[in-house]
Amino acid sequence: MAARYDRAITVFSPDGHLFQVEYAQEAVKKGSTAVGIRGKDIVVLGVEKKSVAKLQEERTVRKICALDDHVCMAFAGLTADARIVINRARVECQSHRLTVEDPVTVEYITRHIATLKQRYTQSNGRRPFGISALIVGFDSDGTPRLYQTDPSGTYHAWKANAIGRSAKTVREFLEKNYTEESIATDNEAIKLAIKALLEVVQSGGKNIELAVIRRNQSLKLLESKEIETLVTEIEKEKEEEAEKKKQKKST
Amino acid sequence: MATFFGEVLSVYSRAVEEDDDDLDDENEDERIHREIEEKREVHIVWCPEVAQSLEDSGSNTLQCSDLIIAVGTNAAGFLSAYVLNTESWDAVGHVSLWNERSRGSSRQSIAPLPGEPACLFYRHRDNPAVLVCQSTCYIAEDQLFQWTEKVFGCLQKRGLSVMVLSDSPVAEYKTPDYLYGSAVPFLRSLKSSASKGQALCPALEQPNILTGLPAAVLSHCQVHQIPAVLYQCYTDVISPDSITMETYKPALLCLSKLVKLEPCLSADVLRKFAIITEAQSNLYT
Repeated sequence: MAARYDRAITVFSPDGHLFQVEYAQEAVKKGSTAVGIRGKDIVVLGVEKKSVAKLQEERTVRKICALDDHVCMAFAGLTADARIVINRARVECQSHRLTVEDPVTVEYITRHIATLKQRYTQSNGRRPFGISALIVGFDSDGTPRLYQTDPSGTYHAWKANAIGRSAKTVREFLEKNYTEESIATDNEAIKLAIKALLEVVQSGGKNIELAVIRRNQSLKLLESKEIETLVTEIEKEKEEEAEKKKQKKST
Repeated sequence: MATFFGEVLSVYSRAVEEDDDDLDDENEDERIHREIEEKREVHIVWCPEVAQSLEDSGSNTLQCSDLIIAVGTNAAGFLSAYVLNTESWDAVGHVSLWNERSRGSSRQSIAPLPGEPACLFYRHRDNPAVLVCQSTCYIAEDQLFQWTEKVFGCLQKRGLSVMVLSDSPVAEYKTPDYLYGSAVPFLRSLKSSASKGQALCPALEQPNILTGLPAAVLSHCQVHQIPAVLYQCYTDVISPDSITMETYKPALLCLSKLVKLEPCLSADVLRKFAIITEAQSNLYT
């Protein structure tokens, strides 16, 4: 049945599906995992680094991009579509600064991106953007924000979320482990993001890239050494947990 | 004949004329048909030892207890990586055929080059009754029957049992439920009624059907009451891919009873058979 209603973007199927939009969401699942966590004084974005070809410059294969000094986003899906969306968002951020003399709120720029995506689900001859984005940042009043958009043009605020391949597994992990204690400090929030990614990333810390924004500071990409240190800490904690459990069982 | 737009079209007469020209035309048609048929004929080229064994046996057949056919690049890659990786297999023949998508007949007597789409036969040195066929070339619908008849015509029917491994895109899998990404790739099985054992994965649900070479082989086995089991792997990747190849692992249980297999396999060997196309790796981030 889908065959007759999935060719054109502007056609609803009899049961109300927009198949092209749903297929675009499948394209998102082909991208590697990205996770976003909203802490108290920090927002964290973690992504699974794609394996880069030997002759390729690693710096140019980035999943995390700054949109402005206080907002950044990670995406999953079609690389080229992401580039277009990011460019438009960056231009809008500066245009807003010049017009209103204030930096954008995270919700504003998310709404702008989501509106752009929705427009492409409602015109003929164009296909939807095949990306989902996690947008994080701080508003000028100091509130941390995390938003997620998807190819249909919807956006929602989240405390923690994941997109891309194996997003479901990561989201289930976050639902179990995102508590007030787990984000009590900045370090804890970063470790939660790494733990969530380690659920689905093969070969551990060297395939993880992490970016943080702290209140009144700009985007900071963590160095691989720092990530390795945190991964080792996490593994030690896991071992200690396992030891404790063993001791409990034996007594 | 005048048309609405004022132009004049010449009309051909449809009166039938009993001319000698007609016979020539028919002959020409027949000749063209025959040429096309010859061009599309399926030829099996065996190596000299096997050709000799075929001649020596009275019925022009080989003794074969197990035939394993792999259809598609992932199934063929799986066999290459897990079964044909030891030194005890000999290439004993290939099928040469021509159609619009497989232009091989110009080199009928020469074996296809490695890496080219082809249909190759391998036989185990220690157990010559085990034959493996890797088919990565496209076989047109009109050639499937010929392929099956010719290949099975070379094998003794008694005691023969067949296993087919085949790839299929998951987009062709019809199901009322939504398939989550983690479920793909997966295996489904289909058996001929002569096949007694348990299949190692769920049976293919209706209304899904098989097409192409796997269907032709299974139909032949059903008609001739040869026990046959088919494992169809539904995958969402177009090119040969190591995860898809690993999906066929349950079949190793049956295969290890027939021939000695390499116990463990390094990821590097698998990666050799999987092609990561540049476009695929940069398209999605």
